[in-house]
Amino acid sequence: MERAPIVFESVWKKFRRGERHDSLRDLIPSIVRRVSGRAVRDELVDQEFWAVRDVSFSVGAGEALGIIGPNGAGKSTILKLLTRILKPTRGRCEVRGRAGALIEVAAGFHPDLTGRENVFLQGALMGMKQAEIGRKFDEIVEFAGVSEFIDTPVKRYSSGMNARLGFAIAAHLDPDVLIIDEVLSVGDARFQERCLERMRELRRRGTPLVFVSHNLLAVLELCTRALLIERGRVRFDGTPAATIQEYRSARPSGDEPSHDGDARITGVQLLDQRGRPAHAIETDGWLTVRIHYETSRPIDRPHFGVDVVRGDGVHCYGTNTRIDRLEIAEIDGAGHVDLVIPRLCLLPGCYSLSVAIQDTHGVRPHDVQYQAYPFAVTSERRDLGLVYLEHRWQLNQLSVGQSSVVNLNGVATR
Amino acid sequence: MTNRHSQLAADVCEIVGEQREYRELLVRLTARDLLLRYKQTVMGVGWAMFMPLVNTAVFSLIFMRVAPIDAGLPYPVFAYCGLLAWNFFAASQRFAVVSLTSNTNLVTKVYCPREMFPFSAIAVSLVDFAVGSLVLAGLMAYYRIGVGWPLLLLPVVVVVHVAFTTAVALLLAMANLFYRDVKYLFEIVLTVWMFASSVVYPIDRVGGRLGALLMLNPMTPIIDAYRATLLRQELPAAAPFAYAAVVAMAMLAVAWVSFHRAEFQFAENI
Repeated sequence: MERAPIVFESVWKKFRRGERHDSLRDLIPSIVRRVSGRAVRDELVDQEFWAVRDVSFSVGAGEALGIIGPNGAGKSTILKLLTRILKPTRGRCEVRGRAGALIEVAAGFHPDLTGRENVFLQGALMGMKQAEIGRKFDEIVEFAGVSEFIDTPVKRYSSGMNARLGFAIAAHLDPDVLIIDEVLSVGDARFQERCLERMRELRRRGTPLVFVSHNLLAVLELCTRALLIERGRVRFDGTPAATIQEYRSARPSGDEPSHDGDARITGVQLLDQRGRPAHAIETDGWLTVRIHYETSRPIDRPHFGVDVVRGDGVHCYGTNTRIDRLEIAEIDGAGHVDLVIPRLCLLPGCYSLSVAIQDTHGVRPHDVQYQAYPFAVTSERRDLGLVYLEHRWQLNQLSVGQSSVVNLNGVATR
Repeated sequence: MTNRHSQLAADVCEIVGEQREYRELLVRLTARDLLLRYKQTVMGVGWAMFMPLVNTAVFSLIFMRVAPIDAGLPYPVFAYCGLLAWNFFAASQRFAVVSLTSNTNLVTKVYCPREMFPFSAIAVSLVDFAVGSLVLAGLMAYYRIGVGWPLLLLPVVVVVHVAFTTAVALLLAMANLFYRDVKYLFEIVLTVWMFASSVVYPIDRVGGRLGALLMLNPMTPIIDAYRATLLRQELPAAAPFAYAAVVAMAMLAVAWVSFHRAEFQFAENI
């Protein structure tokens, strides 16, 4: 069997906290230590810590791996290991073929050189042949949309132009594997959409992809698998939807509390008909939204609300217990509320849920979590739009002699 | 033992492979540095001729008027030839020593063989060297110094010279990345080193034990070899030049392999 193009095998990476010795006066002790053989590779001495601990994964052709996790979890270190900028302390990290890294796409730019000169320089840094860059030059400039300024030093470029030009070069690399770090944070919405389109195109061609992002919806859309990294370890490995849900449920209640202290949402689960966690939901499928709450004092007649928002921000549906004229007398302590949707009817795509607990008048929220719980909808259906509308087709044909109504599902009625 | 051998073989393979893959990067980096160097200067590459000329004038004054010495050749052409060769070495080192630390952005964010940075420093100096040698040709014509068949050996001299320069540059660039003192320390070493090589006076005048010690410096046979093949139309002194060639090649091999092995620590230690 052919080995996967990207293999990460029990990789460990050690870093040092604080300043390292930087001048000759510290060199002598360190040499003595090395000669006397005390510097053991696998042990942590004074200021060292493991930034990546025993991480394993492989990405095959046509696969796209998303890596998510809180800041400082070790995601960027993993990317730097993949791009060979860093070397693992232990374990094996292998990337076969030309790795296109969309990390710091404009790192090689020199401010005093013109756009044209920088395209050739950055291209060479990424391992492109000069002839290849020459061939794709017009396309790159066109993609970046900087043709008027191509002979201007890049120090006069806006930061957006800089990033666009950098990305355009990287995007035309035709890499064997693609490694992407949060590139979607630069440029305007249209440019971001073009970046995503380019990544989809590469994925379709079978280019293995590793994608690190805080943009959970992009991970959901682009990736076939996702890892949740926490404090250097793999905490969860599964489908993007499952991983994202794990990430959400494991997250401590946020940096700034979204709740007022009286009542808060402690977690939201998406469940199928049998009460099992649902990761990707069928258009015709069942969805139970289970909202776990906890109160610090009895709350009189609260209301619960759920909103469904599509990845691009379209508000698809919203309801709450107030609209539905339900009255919950009182909640106290911990518990959960289920919103049962027997048939979802949403068309395939990426969605997320906003969940809220409100006071009895629906004025003051106790806790609101906006678009906090992403999920994916899949379907064999190829209908267009947002929702599936219950329907059937009929052909009414008036012909000589008799009129017939043909139900296009095959059963003719007269 | 065999393990170490195979490790070495693997490293050498990797080095060669990377050189092939990234050879165009060297051209690009060199072009970048040349462009940057001369973009906002009026004299441009003229500086490459100007500096050794000024030095030659100063040393000519000292060694022709104040303390005349017999160099066996017209002194200005003797001095210019030495200074030109020395300047290539010195400029390469000055440029190479900071080549990694001044490209922090690239070292920490993009993967490419890190040798490329000191190499491009050398390539830029090599261009200056070529430009400066035009003046040498002019001086030779002025003093009616012809050329003979030993000139055919000049490429060998250049190769040894470049190899030695590269070896020192790799070690310095690497050392300065880990210990920034190196940059300052090296300035002092460079000044002393120049007077310990036969740049502006024939080194054999020193004599005695110190003189013997100075013969260990590979730069002396290299500079002398330039004068022999270019100015005296004779072969370089065999033993000293062979010694310099062996030292240069051995140092280059050791420096390159150690550089390659230390490379992966650069990004975290810069």
